[in-house]
Amino acid sequence: MDPIITVSVLLGLMFLLLIMGVWIAPTLIAVAAVAIDIFAGRPAGISIATIAWSASSSWMLTALPMFIWMGDILFQSKLSEDLFKGLSPLMRRLPGGLLHTNVVGCTLVAAVCGSSVATLSTVGKMTIPELRKRHYPEHLIVSSLAGPATLGLMIPPSIIKIIYGALTNESIAAINIAGIIPGVILAILFSAYVAIVSINLKSYQPDHEPNIPWREKLLGAARLFPVIGLILVVIGSMMFGFATATEASGVGVVGAMLLAFSQGAMTRNLFVKSLLSATRTSVMICMILIAAGSLSLAMGYLRLPELLVHWVDALHLSAFWLLMGFLVLYTILGHFLDGISCIALTIGIVEPMVRHAGIDMIWFGIFMVLVVEMAQITPPVGFNLTVLQSMTGHDMFKVGYWSMPMHAVMLLMVFVLIMFPELATWLPKQMIPVHGAI
Amino acid sequence: MVVHGNFTLTPPAAATEIYVATPQSLHSVLDKIYLGCGYASGACIASILIIIIVQIVLRYTGMNVGGLPTYAAYMMAASTFLGLPYALIKGSHIRIETVSKLMGRSRRYLDLIAFFLGTAVTIWFAYYVCDMVFTTWKLNDISTDLDATPLWIPQLTMAIGTVLLAVAMADNFLTLLLTGKYRIQSNALAL
Repeated sequence: MDPIITVSVLLGLMFLLLIMGVWIAPTLIAVAAVAIDIFAGRPAGISIATIAWSASSSWMLTALPMFIWMGDILFQSKLSEDLFKGLSPLMRRLPGGLLHTNVVGCTLVAAVCGSSVATLSTVGKMTIPELRKRHYPEHLIVSSLAGPATLGLMIPPSIIKIIYGALTNESIAAINIAGIIPGVILAILFSAYVAIVSINLKSYQPDHEPNIPWREKLLGAARLFPVIGLILVVIGSMMFGFATATEASGVGVVGAMLLAFSQGAMTRNLFVKSLLSATRTSVMICMILIAAGSLSLAMGYLRLPELLVHWVDALHLSAFWLLMGFLVLYTILGHFLDGISCIALTIGIVEPMVRHAGIDMIWFGIFMVLVVEMAQITPPVGFNLTVLQSMTGHDMFKVGYWSMPMHAVMLLMVFVLIMFPELATWLPKQMIPVHGAI
Repeated sequence: MVVHGNFTLTPPAAATEIYVATPQSLHSVLDKIYLGCGYASGACIASILIIIIVQIVLRYTGMNVGGLPTYAAYMMAASTFLGLPYALIKGSHIRIETVSKLMGRSRRYLDLIAFFLGTAVTIWFAYYVCDMVFTTWKLNDISTDLDATPLWIPQLTMAIGTVLLAVAMADNFLTLLLTGKYRIQSNALAL
């Protein structure tokens, strides 16, 4: 059958099911089943069941629930309080003042936590009321949270990068490490934006903060030591060859428990609550991963990736325009789907095109994470917006509108990353391989 | 009669009481099963943590217990599948609700179609998973890794989990169809 008809039927079915509100994973499985059974003429049930088992019973994947659990423990500990009290004395004299506690807080939390929503809620639950009390402009409070919280995806550990690594068979540790430099640059850009706006904005008139002596600043900063220690252990152990991504995730959970324990927050209740919450998230993501695996298999049976590669070849696209095409594709998808679903939906056909174009898969992982980061703050479906909506009480579209400058900052970063690919590829090459690990 | 949950009744005659009380007690039994699934899934994740820690210690002391990572992989699959019904009822699985929210009063009808389709897909999926596990058992497939486990044992968790997911889906669909009430808790954002 004409591949164009096949693809249109399958895409039509997929969007129909998604729009009607069928869950993402069953939708992808249904589309995969139709593709395999009807269009490829093979037994769909047994192929999908086999994929479901092989995709989920994976040692590499165990890093996923671990990093989620780690974030959930930290969210329920007193980390957010410590962060604000530790950071605010250091930030108060900067242009933009305590708004920087949002940016720097998100950056630090992103380094111990794998998702942007968890980053957002951990930081925001303390800073939103505190900044409001000090009369910071509301739209800056919101946007200085919405943008930087997406660093949760970029800075290791990152759940979305575990998914990417598992789906493309690339090293999870390397993709995570590759995000450090772009993540830090992005954080600096966010901070610069906040500083520039606060200087030029007339309505920016927060309460004046009294200057405090250096001794007290340092005492406050001491509150940050436990979390910085945890960051060094988790990221450092991956970087310097002490642990694989999975091992680092296990150490991270134990570290988070110790941190909560030292605050006196580690109770049986926290243990059960964080474990069950991590379970729900992990189950949901793994099911999407299984469905994505089925869909990729179906695409392979239909030889769609090959056809697409030939088609793109015939267009004589340069790598740059191919990337621009992906940028447009993910921006559109990002309005309707969250980042993980975007990757799950498309990786089966995007991966062969990227490999064929000779683009480094680790670099492309960072590009993709950056692009879907933007999806987190585009209405009507953006997880960060939904969370901000419930945390601040503002309508989602208003929150989305206020976040648009941050969207522009990320777009700028996309082009910086394309111009200087070494930002993502240099650090993973410096990693020391883990001795004797599986 | 004390009524809590989905069925509110004026004092009924004895005969109908038994009849009508059935779905409600069925719901409370199912709720316990779903929660049990959640705890089982959580226990698997906790055991993965223990395996990882043991694995690190073994690696650094130079000892080698082959197959340990494979057990963690089985636990990973078990956690995923056993947790499916629990995550569904807790509203953790993602679906696009934008359109259905726009529909106002007729939202229920669109949700009914979506829930029906979801139920159909998961029943289909559960059937083939059970079929595969049965084949593994009949052929006595053994893991090719160092652990040499008969594969049907870990795969049983996949069969149980997917069947219970189909049950939870059907429960959710039928409850909305018959009572107009939603079984799934409002979408608690997880990511």
